[in-house]
Amino acid sequence: MPKTEYLQGALDLLILRTLALGANHGWGIQQRIRQVSGKALAVSQGSLYPALHRLEAAGLLSSEMSTSENNRKARIYSITAAGRRRLTVETEDWRQFTLAIRRLLQEG
Amino acid sequence: MALMTTLRSLRQRRRAEREFDDEAAFHLEMETEANIARGMSREEARLTALRAFGGVVQTREHVRDTRALRVESLWLDVRYAARALMAQRRFTCAAAGMLALAIGLGTAMFTVLDALILRPVPFRDPAQLAHVWMGTDRGGRVVVSPAVLKAWRESAAFEAAESAMSATVLLQVGETVVARESATVTPGIFKMLSNVRTLRGRLFDPTDGRPGEADRVLVSETLWRTVYGSDPAFVGSSITVDGRRSVVIGVLPSDFRFPSADTVLWRPTNLTGRAEMAKAYVRFASNMMRADSLRLATEAARAADGNTAQLRPWVYPLAGLTDSNATQSVRVLAGGVVLVFLVLCANVSGLLLARLTARRREFAMRAALGASRARLLRQALAESALLAALGMAGGAAVAWAFVPVSQQVIPETLLLQTLNPLTLNGRALLMTSAFGVVAILVSGLLPAWLGTSLPAGDSLRVVDRGATETPAARMVGRALVAIEVALACTLLVGATVLTRSFVNMSQADRGLQTDGITTVWLALGSSAATDPAGRAGIARSVEDQLRQLPGVRQVAWSYGLPPHGGMLSFGEWTSDRPGALPINLNLERYVVTPDLFALYQIPIVRGRGFTSSDTFNNVIVSQALASRLWGDADPIGHSFRFIQETFQVVGVAREIHFPSLDPRADLPEFYHPYTDVPSTPMVSLRCEPGCPDAAVIRHRLASSHPTVRVQAAGTVDRKYVAELARPRAAAAVALTFAVFALTATAAGLFSVLSYAVTRRRREFGIRTALGATPRRVRHVVLRDGLIVAAIGLAVGTVFAIPLSGALRSLQYGVTSSDPLSWAIVLATVALTAMAASWFPARSAARLDPIVLLREE
Repeated sequence: MPKTEYLQGALDLLILRTLALGANHGWGIQQRIRQVSGKALAVSQGSLYPALHRLEAAGLLSSEMSTSENNRKARIYSITAAGRRRLTVETEDWRQFTLAIRRLLQEG
Repeated sequence: MALMTTLRSLRQRRRAEREFDDEAAFHLEMETEANIARGMSREEARLTALRAFGGVVQTREHVRDTRALRVESLWLDVRYAARALMAQRRFTCAAAGMLALAIGLGTAMFTVLDALILRPVPFRDPAQLAHVWMGTDRGGRVVVSPAVLKAWRESAAFEAAESAMSATVLLQVGETVVARESATVTPGIFKMLSNVRTLRGRLFDPTDGRPGEADRVLVSETLWRTVYGSDPAFVGSSITVDGRRSVVIGVLPSDFRFPSADTVLWRPTNLTGRAEMAKAYVRFASNMMRADSLRLATEAARAADGNTAQLRPWVYPLAGLTDSNATQSVRVLAGGVVLVFLVLCANVSGLLLARLTARRREFAMRAALGASRARLLRQALAESALLAALGMAGGAAVAWAFVPVSQQVIPETLLLQTLNPLTLNGRALLMTSAFGVVAILVSGLLPAWLGTSLPAGDSLRVVDRGATETPAARMVGRALVAIEVALACTLLVGATVLTRSFVNMSQADRGLQTDGITTVWLALGSSAATDPAGRAGIARSVEDQLRQLPGVRQVAWSYGLPPHGGMLSFGEWTSDRPGALPINLNLERYVVTPDLFALYQIPIVRGRGFTSSDTFNNVIVSQALASRLWGDADPIGHSFRFIQETFQVVGVAREIHFPSLDPRADLPEFYHPYTDVPSTPMVSLRCEPGCPDAAVIRHRLASSHPTVRVQAAGTVDRKYVAELARPRAAAAVALTFAVFALTATAAGLFSVLSYAVTRRRREFGIRTALGATPRRVRHVVLRDGLIVAAIGLAVGTVFAIPLSGALRSLQYGVTSSDPLSWAIVLATVALTAMAASWFPARSAARLDPIVLLREE
């Protein structure tokens, strides 16, 4: 249980962070996370899409169906004000968490 | 409703799925193109993209669950709850039945409370309407003269001022004569009240009521239907009212009640009749302060009528419970309903708790499969909500049945004080739902919380063993029954005290014999009645007529009718005892012919009765008055003073009593000789076997003496019966409530113990196998039940203390600390607890260890 929770929290953070830079569709978010992390983080579609819908239901994201650059129907997600607030909090939490881990590892 | 929810959730689900399919297709195409850009063939690129995506169907379902779950799962809960309730029909019937009873009683009670106390009179802007008397600061109240009413109409104090005077009238229909309540009203009164429409015909015109046009009447729908057989050509026909032909000009709907609830006929007046007075009803001007209006009204009245110089207007409500005793009894009634409501809710709560703990295995299974606590709680609450919905439907039906019953049970003296009809209405049904919601919260929350609490480590296996109840559920189940016992005990204390009050009051010494006595109050309204000899002549001929009525044996004249019907005199009375101080007393005085004592069988215990030589100041005092004034000394030949008058005592009569909840009603009395016939004398008739009906007497006198009016007629008993109505109703209602509560409590105790026995089968089996006798096992269960009952009794005793204060206004000759009442309560509760525990105890004692061990 704790493992999935940890990953889920991280995934939410990654999605919010990506969308804070600009609205995007599911595939775009996935590509961006992969590129920026230097291919270290790969998010599967099976977790990405439920996460997107969950965040939308929680009011952190909004979405609309629109036509993409290559003239296809796509769902474009964008971050809401509540999402931005959450992002600030989560980012700070994550910093403290990684700091704590780093200290712990340096001790040994 | 349910269908709509299903359709909506289905539609939402379909849309969510379709949109996700589009989204997934887009993702796959983007991925495929990216793969082609990396140098793969189109086919290879598509397959790689599909592989990377994983299970489209799983993802789609996952997405769907996050989007459209809420409504759908709520519907699932309701369906599941319905199935669970259907599966346990006996439990469902018992619980829903109890809730229905609780909700129905609550609604019926609210209907009564609403009509009697909460709702204002059913006219436009009721706060501005009032009934006005003229009076002094010392308490005297009189009706107003037509001149004053006219002055009020013209002053700015009131928007309108009208009159309505009640009287009993005789209606002759074919050969029969019936007496009904009527009102003589000024034509403008309907406009003042507003919202008054006739069912047929028209209301009074301003011209109606002028001399020569007074023979028009309005009739209520009730009278039209009951006495005149719903005659379709009724309007325009003529009926006989007090021997005069009157034309019916309209029919008023039965829910129009004014000036009192039993008025069924209205006659017009313009207040020009000889010595006619007005009983004023006014509508205050809305733009003026109440105090200013009253000041203006006082000035206008004093200018219009010199007799009112010392008086000022006093405002009373049009109707409603003004007497604090009556309000108190309605409040006690409402309190009783709340107690019964709580007992029934506690009982349903106990039942739900037993049900839910029995299903712990199911809940544990669902929790193991991933259901959260909130999810389980919601499901448990869905079941109690569904039960409450059943209870509400049943409750509305119960209330519908109870309201007519309450109309029979509640004393007429209370019901006549409201102008509102006592019927189930929208407000009451709204209340039904409120009671339903309270019932779910009271009865459903705790069991749901406990039933779904699955402590960590309480694995499926442990739950499965089902060896005993969980300690928390066990405690709460017992506590609920103890609360029920306590509440039932409180109700039982109330019921016992009220029943004993009623019995005491109905058996109380009256000091006179009322069987077979009818009294008639007359107004000798002819021109001959102005001189004493003329009045005496009319009285003689009236007496002749009365003596000819069948069964009449004795006739006596008086002014003032015992009991509780004398002239009230209050002030300081001084006896001729040397050094006697004035005593402040309220007394009743009767002016009587010598044979009245014999007629009422009131013995003269000292001295003598009246003779023809006695003057008005020779009096006979009652025992209570004699002892107040002279103590144990013989009062014969002594005198006493009241203001300017001095009275000589010629005899002492036995005290007459008027048992009443209001101790102020039973006053000492003294008698004057009947030296002069007053213009409104009373006649008492003793008849064998029984006196003729009041309507017969009225009719007889109406035909023989058209100028003599019968103001009131009826048996003496009716005064006592009316006084007993309140204690009787209180006792009947309290007993009914106590029986409901006790039955529910017994059922609660029974179900808790039976359930405990089934959970402890193994334990009892092992005990028996180890040598415990059936007697011993039975005692274990019986003791369990009796301990709960004893705790409940102890708590109930504490509850009963505030109750005794609340019931004080309904007690007669008994207190709530009365030992006999307590003995009755203790015995009843103990016996009920024994009876309820007996069957579970017996079934525990009969468990066969061999069978039990084989079950393992």
